[in-house]
Parts: sequence; C-alpha cells; structure tokens
Amino acid sequence: MGTAISLDLADDLPAAALRDLAEETFGWLREVDARFSTYSDDSEVCRLDRGELRLADASADLRAVLERCADLWAATDGYFDAYATGRLDPSGYVKGWSAQVASDRLVAAGAANHCLNAGGDVVVRGLSPTREAWRIGVAHPWNPMATCLVLAGSDLAIATSGVQHRGQHVRDPRRGEPARGLRSVTVVGADLGVADAYATAAVAMGEAGIGWLDRLTDHRHAVVTDDARLLHSTDLPLSD
Amino acid sequence: MRRAILAITGLAASTSALVVLKGSPGVGQVAQDLPAGQASVAPAAGEPGTAGTVRPAPRPTASGRAPAARPTTAAPRTPGARSTTGKSPAAPRATTSAPKPALRTVRGPDVKYEFGTLHVQITLSGSQIVNVTGIGLPQSGQSGQRSDDVQRTYSGTSGEVVQKQSADLNTVTDATATSNAYQQSLQAAIDRAG
Repeated sequence: MGTAISLDLADDLPAAALRDLAEETFGWLREVDARFSTYSDDSEVCRLDRGELRLADASADLRAVLERCADLWAATDGYFDAYATGRLDPSGYVKGWSAQVASDRLVAAGAANHCLNAGGDVVVRGLSPTREAWRIGVAHPWNPMATCLVLAGSDLAIATSGVQHRGQHVRDPRRGEPARGLRSVTVVGADLGVADAYATAAVAMGEAGIGWLDRLTDHRHAVVTDDARLLHSTDLPLSD
Repeated sequence: MRRAILAITGLAASTSALVVLKGSPGVGQVAQDLPAGQASVAPAAGEPGTAGTVRPAPRPTASGRAPAARPTTAAPRTPGARSTTGKSPAAPRATTSAPKPALRTVRGPDVKYEFGTLHVQITLSGSQIVNVTGIGLPQSGQSGQRSDDVQRTYSGTSGEVVQKQSADLNTVTDATATSNAYQQSLQAAIDRAG
C-alpha cells in the first residue's frame, strides 16, 4: 500500500503494553502490505492474478477480501471495481479493511480508545486522550493546510476519496476514463473498508454519486464538487 | 469461548477505570512531565511507507491537527459505561529527573515526501515546546506556497504547535503530503525530546 499510517492509543496502559499493541498493529499492516501489494510480484494478489495460485488455495483473508469486493461491486452498481485497472487490484478495499481489522483487534486487546489513520482514512474508537470525542478534520481539496469540515465522534470510520492535488484520478470503470464532477467525497460509517469503497465509487459516479450517497441509509457523506460546492448529509456528525 | 469473552470484558473494564483515573488532576500532571512514557515505532528499514507513532502520555491541552479547528467546547461523550471499580491510581513515577529549564533543541528526522525532504526542529524549555520550525520545505512555485502555508500554521513561537504542545490530537482525513511529512518529523522530534 505504501502509505503512512499513524496510531494514537488513548488508553492509559503501561508503556510496554502500548508498545506491544502498536507493534502488533504495524506488524499486521506490514503483513497485509506484503500479501496484498500489487507492487511486489510475489504477493498473494499478484500470484493469484497471474494464475500461479488457485483461488481455492488462497488464504482465507484473500478469499474474504475478494468476496467483499464482489459484494461492493454489486452494491455500487459496478462503480467500485477491483478490476478497474484491467488487472486484479483490491487495494481500494484492502487499505480500509486492514485498518478496520487492526482497530477491531486493538479493541479486543483492551485498547478501546484509539485513532488509526491509514493514509487519510480514519477509524476512531472510544474517546480521545482528553476524554472527549475524537475530532477529525476533512482536508480542504484545494488548500492542503485547511479543513473544510470537522467531524466529531466516538466510533466512526471515515474515508475520503477524490482528486488529489497531485492529480491522481479515480477512474470511472464504465467509461474507462478519469471521473469528473466530484473533487472529494467523504463517507462516514461503521466499517472503514466499506466507507472507503463507497467514497471511491461515488467519485467514479461523478455528480450522480451525490444522489446515490443520499440513498445510503447507514452511511453519512460530505461532498466537494469540482465547482467548489460543499454538500453533506443533514445528520453528519459535525463538531460543535 | 465464554472464558475468552470474560477476559475481554475484564480488560475493557480495567481500561475504563484507568481512563477515568487519567482525568484526575494529579495523575495528569505527572504524566505530562513524564515524556519517558512516550513510545515511538520507527519505520522499519525497507518499508519507507509504513511509519507510526504512539503517544500514550495524556496531553491535557486540547489540541487539533486541523488548523481551522479550535476545540472550544466539550464534545459529546460516549454513553458507554465507565466504571470506577477497584483500581487505585498507578503509583507516581515522577520522582526522578525533574525537567531542567535550560533551552535545548531537538531535530526531527528527515522525512521524504513528494516535494522533497523536510525535517522539523523543536526548541524546548524543560518539557515545554517553545519554538518550532520546518527546514527544507520547497521555497518556490506552487509547492513553495504550500510550504509557506504549513510554516504559517504550525511553526514559530506562537504557532499551533507551541500553543498546543502536541503534534496532533485530531486527525485529518485526506491529509496531504506536506502536512503529513511535517507532522511525522515533528512527532519523532517530540519523541526524541522525551
């Protein structure tokens, strides 16, 4: 995935315990990177894509991920597509999924209050170190040092997809060209893998994505359009 | 299976107790003066993309990574039960090495990002951060403008870092390269200072 991941553990556990939890978390994320990376030729994903590995012999994690990608493809009318690049690339789901798994494991291990930010996709659990709700800024799409919204909450998965200032585009898998219309889509839900996939799908849909997001009953959203309008769910958990 | 659930419940209960205790003034102060409680996970060699930090020491000042966001009022708490059973506060660990008031400078590591390489330098008086500056940020063109934005927001004796005594608390979704790199170097500098 090659992404910066930061972890904030807010539980007042002994330093050694916190270090162990952090090491387990990053160990898991590195393992996922090695197994699911599309950049390293010997990853499980690449071997499956080349036909060297049969699906039946793939790990339970990989089979579960592919199953979820198929579900998400159906749920997004094909706009979330692990084959959008012409080859198997489930990274759009794997990043959020692996962070969500890491967060769930931390909760199970007794670190009920933490914040995990995987390259701009965020899971917050419990309370922040000041014993308040976590506050999450949504980056301004044109000004890297500003935020356009601040969310607050205790158990949220928040994913943002869009056109970065470095010009990376989400592809519209139906037309096979860069998506237009939505500059930035933030989806708030309970599972980071799903939120991330939905955000990516909405960007791929373009303006029509706003209506699609509106019809999701279990997710909230904030959208910045190419012409700089900001639209969001009326019940988005805004701070203050 | 039932035993496993009990074990997890036990952990969760004791965690909640500690969270409550963390809020009591004495404990909070001790922890603040004890940056030794901070641990950092350095990026493993060969995996430049993966890095992380852990800051177990509670930071009593409200802070926000988001420049536009200034926490003013208490945000809603989760309704989850926080029991105050049985646990006594951890014994104070702060009897050794009181912070010295002399000024010292700690340099954060170089962090490579898409516009180049930067590092952050912090100046501390005791355990207080009194000045911060980012070094190596690009100075020209559009990315130069970005660097100025970062510097204006975070650096200097009255910038956000000095005000908040912390690299971040909130997090930013879709944060972009320069601020990520700055925060990464800054956090490592704070960890080193501890």
